[in-house]
Amino acid sequence: MTKKGKTEKAEKKGSVKSKIKDFTDPSLYTNRELSWLLFDNRILGEARDKNNPLFERLKFLSITASNLDEFFMVRVASLKDMVHAGVNKRDIAGLTPEEQLVKIYEATHDLVDMQYSTYNRSLVPQLEHSGLHIIGHHETLSKEQHEYLDRYFDENIYPVLTPMAVDSSRPFPLIRNKSLNIAALLKKKGGGKEDMEFATVQVPSVLPRFIELPGDLFADEMKNHLILLEEIIEQNIDKLFLNYDVLCAHPYRVMRNADLTIDEDEAEDLLEEIEKQLKQRQRGDAIRLEVEEGIHKKLLKILKQELDIRQEEIYSINGPLDLTFLMKMYGMKGYEDMKAKPYTPQSVPELQPDCDIFEQIRKKDILLHHPYQSFEPVVSFIQQAARDPKVLAIKQTLYRVSGNSPIIRALAQAADNGKQVSVLVELKARFDEENNIVWAKMLEQAGCHVIYGLVGLKTHSKITLVVRREEDGIRRYVHLGTGNYNDATAKLYTDMGLLTCSETIGEDATAVFNMLSGYSEPKNWNKLSLAPLWLKDRFLYLIRRETGHARRGLPARIVAKMNSLCDRDIIAALYEASSAGVQIDLIVRGICCLKVGIKGVSENITVRSIVGNFLEHARIFYFANDTHPEVYMASADWMPRNLERRVEILFPVEQEDLKEKAIHVLKVQLADTMKAQVLSPFDTYEKVDRRGKQMISAQETFCNEAMELSRQIALSQSTAQTRVFIPETHK
Amino acid sequence: MAYKTFAAIDVGSYELAMKIFEISPKKGLREIDHIRHRIELGTDTYNTGKINKERVEEVCQILRSFKEIMKSYRVEEYKAYGTSAIRETENTTIVLDMIRSGTGLNVDVISNSEQRFLDYKAIASRGETFEEVIQKGTVIVDVGGGSTQISLFDREVLIGTQNLRLGLLRLRERLLNFQAGATERMSLIREQVDNQFEVMKRLYMDGRKIENIIFVDDYLSLIMQRPELGFSRVGFMTRKECDNLVGRMRSESIMDTARFLGISEERAFLLYISLEMMNRIMELLEIRMIWAPAVCLCDGIAYEYAEKNRLIKLDHDFEQDILACARNIAERFKGNEARTVLMENTALKIFDSTKKVHGLKPRHRLLLQLAARLNDCGKYISMSNVGECGYSIIMSNEIIGLSHTEREIVANIVKYNRADFEYYSAVRTQTALDRDSYLIVAKLSAILKITDGLVRSYREKFSEVKTTLKDRELSIVINTSEDLTLELGLLGPKADFFEEVFNVRVNVLQKRI
Repeated sequence: MTKKGKTEKAEKKGSVKSKIKDFTDPSLYTNRELSWLLFDNRILGEARDKNNPLFERLKFLSITASNLDEFFMVRVASLKDMVHAGVNKRDIAGLTPEEQLVKIYEATHDLVDMQYSTYNRSLVPQLEHSGLHIIGHHETLSKEQHEYLDRYFDENIYPVLTPMAVDSSRPFPLIRNKSLNIAALLKKKGGGKEDMEFATVQVPSVLPRFIELPGDLFADEMKNHLILLEEIIEQNIDKLFLNYDVLCAHPYRVMRNADLTIDEDEAEDLLEEIEKQLKQRQRGDAIRLEVEEGIHKKLLKILKQELDIRQEEIYSINGPLDLTFLMKMYGMKGYEDMKAKPYTPQSVPELQPDCDIFEQIRKKDILLHHPYQSFEPVVSFIQQAARDPKVLAIKQTLYRVSGNSPIIRALAQAADNGKQVSVLVELKARFDEENNIVWAKMLEQAGCHVIYGLVGLKTHSKITLVVRREEDGIRRYVHLGTGNYNDATAKLYTDMGLLTCSETIGEDATAVFNMLSGYSEPKNWNKLSLAPLWLKDRFLYLIRRETGHARRGLPARIVAKMNSLCDRDIIAALYEASSAGVQIDLIVRGICCLKVGIKGVSENITVRSIVGNFLEHARIFYFANDTHPEVYMASADWMPRNLERRVEILFPVEQEDLKEKAIHVLKVQLADTMKAQVLSPFDTYEKVDRRGKQMISAQETFCNEAMELSRQIALSQSTAQTRVFIPETHK
Repeated sequence: MAYKTFAAIDVGSYELAMKIFEISPKKGLREIDHIRHRIELGTDTYNTGKINKERVEEVCQILRSFKEIMKSYRVEEYKAYGTSAIRETENTTIVLDMIRSGTGLNVDVISNSEQRFLDYKAIASRGETFEEVIQKGTVIVDVGGGSTQISLFDREVLIGTQNLRLGLLRLRERLLNFQAGATERMSLIREQVDNQFEVMKRLYMDGRKIENIIFVDDYLSLIMQRPELGFSRVGFMTRKECDNLVGRMRSESIMDTARFLGISEERAFLLYISLEMMNRIMELLEIRMIWAPAVCLCDGIAYEYAEKNRLIKLDHDFEQDILACARNIAERFKGNEARTVLMENTALKIFDSTKKVHGLKPRHRLLLQLAARLNDCGKYISMSNVGECGYSIIMSNEIIGLSHTEREIVANIVKYNRADFEYYSAVRTQTALDRDSYLIVAKLSAILKITDGLVRSYREKFSEVKTTLKDRELSIVINTSEDLTLELGLLGPKADFFEEVFNVRVNVLQKRI
């Protein structure tokens, strides 16, 4: 059949198929909170995976705990706010906030049970087997061991404790958010049973969570013996209440909706409504209570009553509360053989140390892949710009930076050297607000022009512009990235960045900063697409273009890698594309509200999630566009907050070799059989069926490739240096 | 370095804009930055006649930040122009002075025709596409906040231009005042366009086939640059595409349009007005295609700067456009073409041979040529008061490319060609011209008067003259066998005036052939 014939047939077929489908049915979508919990479950899967080194498993378990804390503080708190405000708006999956909470409690109870089953049944015995003994209960200690800990308590812990009793004259104290506490039931010495009183003491966060006991106190051959701080306090609790008998004492932990800011993921109209409601009610409600399993009924009753918490919000814990201490344990020395081999980010071939970075960028665009390749060139880009007399201006957006950031220092130095330095600081970066204010002030003092962004929009884009006056005129050098300008997290997060001096991208970059400085948007964009005004439309256009191609029988494919996918319009467009025959492969690390395998809707869509030692963070988008593939990268996920309420940038990767490199990254991720989990039509994530397949870990592959490239370059350099010219002798 | 860094600033009716350019003979104009800030100066001017001091302070604040940006690019020169909002305000001088003292920047006010000429230059700077479009009958529709300029091309030459009081802000204010609903909005805009276009169409467009529109605005033009909207060619829109877009906008709310296009509701409303205007003009003129080059005044300012400083090579002869406009006015007022041509040639000959004594510039030569071209248009109104009527006709007609002062000079030259010259002391209180400009009027009038004397008859008695200046005597040799008694007889007082102005005696010699 001729191509024309094929196309006509496909068009006819397409026209039947393309009868507009209704993709608004909530059953086509997964609730984002439940999907997020599945993500935490996948991390928990890594903690349970015996193929992972033991200490890595501890780290993963710790991550599930800190993730869950954040989830409660941000998402559950937000939903509870909605319930309080009487908001009944249904989510993408058709659930009201109340219905979502019910499902969340159910899922989180299961998740917590699984966390502690992993801890108790798998990790603690394994640690023991490896010579690390975690003392579960102080009651099991010998007299000598007790005496040692009593001394430790008297000298180190006692001075920082503030026990608080509750009676008719002393109201129930405010228990701090996320703090670990010990609750006790007291009885006045000589008093009757009916004189029971409640007391509480906070486990001080200024002290280390676990204490190592000297080995000579133990007769076994364990390398280390650790005990948790709360156990030592429990052992000595009667010292805090001298005229009382302590009937029982149990640790508990409260999570509060203390944060008054509303999660930006909620729709704008909702935010306003909730904010109004918030002003009218008591703040700081408890939203989660963790108690030790077997807690005294009376104690639990008091806590429940005083904290005004519902039964489903109480988590009975079989093990130590707050597993985030495992991350500290991960840092213990002496267990390196139980951790993944440390990886050193490799140098970028085009950007060897001491090179003129601007000269290299002029030769060609450079694509960086972190953490496989070092983040140093990005720091160096700004440092060189700060020193370079030809540089007129440096402009940068900063969302999260490391403590003592070399980038901040370089920017300050640039201002000192008389360059015009404009820095857009996003003060609202979640949990980094205070940190950001500190260094924003520092930059201002150094003479930088600090901009605090556009009202109502978080600036999440990652862009740096260096304006240089060269012999043939002004030239602009631009770095665009998918990740933050944070040299510390760049060693852990997988991200990509582009260094270019393309005239068109330079023009757009200038326009971005003009916009962020409060000037009007440019009349036209050349290459970049920005949220919140244009980005979503651009993505929809790119997806629909593939749909059109598929309907005409032309090659059509989408591969997209991101952190989260929950924008209804984008998902609907993907469903439409899939039903038109577009093959869509999604690599979504976290939340995914799209469902796969629905007949006539998403049969052509696959979703996989990779959880590895590095945090998958790059956003890469591939569109086949008939036979002219296009590759883009972005700071944005396919989430309403990114597409509608943030300043984000999508940039194309156009240079052929770089495009190939980006496509290679996607291909390797799609070939991952070790760390990838695939979304099933039953809304569960399953490990890849490895039968007959090569064992591939994408992260390991990228590490090996980067090291191999470095080795080859080092080899070629050493060969060049050792080459000796031997003159031909005339005999 | 082989390039200049230049900043062009437009203090406009609804925004302040600055473009930074690098200009070099090798690479031409290269835009390196474009900064815009929305501020509605026009609303104040059009509603109250004045710009209030808070608004001026806001302008100063923005201009100060522009200055910082200029500094960061190490800009060597700048040019800042204020347009209709500043021009039409009652307190122009005060506003300009406040800006000067508040920012250190000098803002010059330009006339509507100068502004449109700069816009036109900006369009022409788009080179090949511009030349391609104007091969066919084309009209430039330049929509501003306060008015719209319509300029007509015929076979590559600009032949006429008219300013219609049909600006976006004016229309918006009217629609808001009427609290017009969706249907009323549409008919109100269409009615306004019809009213303004009626005469324009009869005067210039009857019998002419217009196929294209070059459209300049700040709203629709931008939308037309967006590839995702699926126009068959970026920057172009066919009649059908225009109908589709206008149909969509009529059927949905301004809020929906704003959402669809990813723009603010305010912009969406102005876009709607612009599109509705455009659509109606397309219907009236039966236009096939619109081209929106997406240029702004800043491009024109930079182009003019580069042109004046000989930093770029011109692709288009703008003087020919100015002359073509004047020719069109002369034609409309039934001027005698053959006599006009002879007047022009003779006057320019005299101008060229008396360079040493008059010390005028090439631009003044153009003004003289225009005056010669328009010298007898007043006859259309009154045979007995040609000068005064000629003056009024010129002052009431747009000649694109001329500043208000230049137009006044041309009108005065035409006036004094037939009327007795009045000295500055006598007209000082009535004329808008300053002493220097009035001196130019005197000099060019002296030349035109001599010319008019020689070309008095409508029978072409000669085809050319030879002129020589020697020892304070201007010899004009006419090769003709015709009787020149009338001409020589009438020349006396004109030659006296010439001598008074230049201290040069005119001597006319007839060489019989």
